[in-house]
Formats: sequence, C-alpha cells, structure tokens
Amino acid sequence: MDNLGNALVFGLGAIGPAFGLAIVGSKTIESMARQPEMAGRLQTTMFIALGMIEAIALLGFVLAFAI
Amino acid sequence: MEEMPIKMEHLLHELSVLSLAGGHGEAAGFSLTNYTFWLIAAVILVLAFFIAGSRNVKLVPSGIGNLAEAGVDFVRNSVCIDVIGPEGKKYFPFLGTIFFFILINNLLGNIPPALPGTGTVGTTFTWAIIVFLVYNGIGIKKLGFFKYIKSLVPSGTPWWLAWLLFLIELISHMLRPFTLGIRLFANMYAGHVMLGVFAAFAAIFIEHLSPASIAVVPLSVIMQIALRVFELMVAVLQAYIFTILTAVYIGGALEAGSH
Repeated sequence: MDNLGNALVFGLGAIGPAFGLAIVGSKTIESMARQPEMAGRLQTTMFIALGMIEAIALLGFVLAFAI
Repeated sequence: MEEMPIKMEHLLHELSVLSLAGGHGEAAGFSLTNYTFWLIAAVILVLAFFIAGSRNVKLVPSGIGNLAEAGVDFVRNSVCIDVIGPEGKKYFPFLGTIFFFILINNLLGNIPPALPGTGTVGTTFTWAIIVFLVYNGIGIKKLGFFKYIKSLVPSGTPWWLAWLLFLIELISHMLRPFTLGIRLFANMYAGHVMLGVFAAFAAIFIEHLSPASIAVVPLSVIMQIALRVFELMVAVLQAYIFTILTAVYIGGALEAGSH
C-alpha cells in the first residue's frame, strides 16, 4: 500500500501527455492525408512535438521514483 | 504475489550503479561501474564501426561501408540540413557524434547482459549540458553576448512586457538541458524496468503453479517479446529525438537575431 502514492503520481501525471500525444498523432495523420507531399517535414515536426510532450510524462516517472 | 516486492528490489538493484573495481560508498560513482563499462564498450563499437566503414571508400559502397554511409547521410540530410538549413552541414560532426553515440549505447543496452550507457543520469545530463553550452556558444559567437541576451525578447516589445518575456524565455532555456537529460535517461531506464517487471511476473507464476499461471505466463512472455521490439524502436527514436532537438536549439540560436 505504501507504493500506491508513487504509482498514482505517474498514472495521473501521464493523463495530460496522453491527450497531447493523441492530438499530435491524429493531427499529423490528418495533415499527411491532406498534403502527402509535406509528409517528410510534418514527420520531423511531429517528432519534435512528441519529444517535448514525452518529457512531461517522464518527469512524472522520475518523480514517482523520487517520492 | 508476496514475492513481487523482493523481485522488484532485486531488479532495481541490478539496474542501479554498481562499482566493478575500487570505490566504495560515495566514491563508487567515480570508479569503473557497470554502466561505464558498457559505455566504454559502446564507444569502442562506434569507433570500430566507422573505422571499418571508412577504410575502403568507394563510389558504390558495399557491406559495412554502405551502412555507415546510409547512417551518415541520414543525419546530414534529414537532421542537419532539413532542420538548421544549408549552413547546418557545419554542425554535422557534433550532431553525428551525438546521434551515433546515443544510438549504439541504446541498442547495446538491448542485448541482455549489457546495460545501456545512456541509462544513467550521469551520461545523459553530461550530454545535455554540453548541448546547452554549445548552442548558447553558437548564438553568442554569432551575435555577441549582450545582443544574444537581448535577442531572447523580440524587438519592439514594450518594456513592461519585455522583462516578463525575458524571464519566461530564461526559464524555458534553463529547462532545455534538464528535459533533454531526463527524457533519454527515463526512456532507457523505464524500458528496462518494464521488461524486468514482466520477467518477474512470469518467474513468480512458474514457481507457484496455479490455474492463473495458464493465462499469466504466456501473456508475460508475449509482452516480453513485444516490449523488446518496442525497446528497439525507442532506442532509435530517442537517439533521433535527442539529435533533432539539439539541431532545433542550434537553429534557434542561429536565427536569434533575425526576428
């Protein structure tokens, strides 16, 4: 039961980034379908956004261990 | 199930920094540790790979030379030139070093006895701080110190808004090395913890056979395989993201004065 708090920190902290990833992914697919010739540049931009969102979720992971 | 905490304790102990030679207590982190051992192995691998790849340069490369050329071409074209622009070619040595160092470290960590050299805060934060110093250095070299600091705030901002913007920009710049370091470390560490958790599940349910074992053991093994494939993808993706974010920061520093 002591570890429940740690698990909750990561679990709740991952909700926001999960929505963020969903938006980034769906919008990129949508844009790629509209303009396939831009796919390469869209993908690069997507990875940058993905990396930044991911960092938020991983801060939660580190905090879960730190607490 | 009561054995799970013991197994987890054991797993986290395996993944912690352990001294291999000399160094006890506080000094353990400065001696040859299990992580630095595999870090050195990865560096030797990178060197060997590129020495073998560049020994016999031909117009149409084959074998290992082909692989090396494809890798170098990928970093130069889709990271340096696409993100920074034509002048990005100048920063290829730096970005290429980061990419291949992180990539080989991450991939080596996926071979069972090995640990990823990038799975400790020491390695990732060292790289993150180097990146921070380099991109700020590039900006300062181009504009001069005071002009670079001034360029954090777009010109033409009223003074009462400028100091607030400056503060926000300063915090966001300070967070960059922190997020770079955390992202790479946590990805590598969390992946290995996940693999370990499913291995522990399988081990416990095999040791104490019960009706539930029929479902849990195959599921754990399948998850183990799926996560391993996922880990390989993450290893390549994280090297790519680290490099591309570095390129974005360098590109930002180069463009600092022009808007």
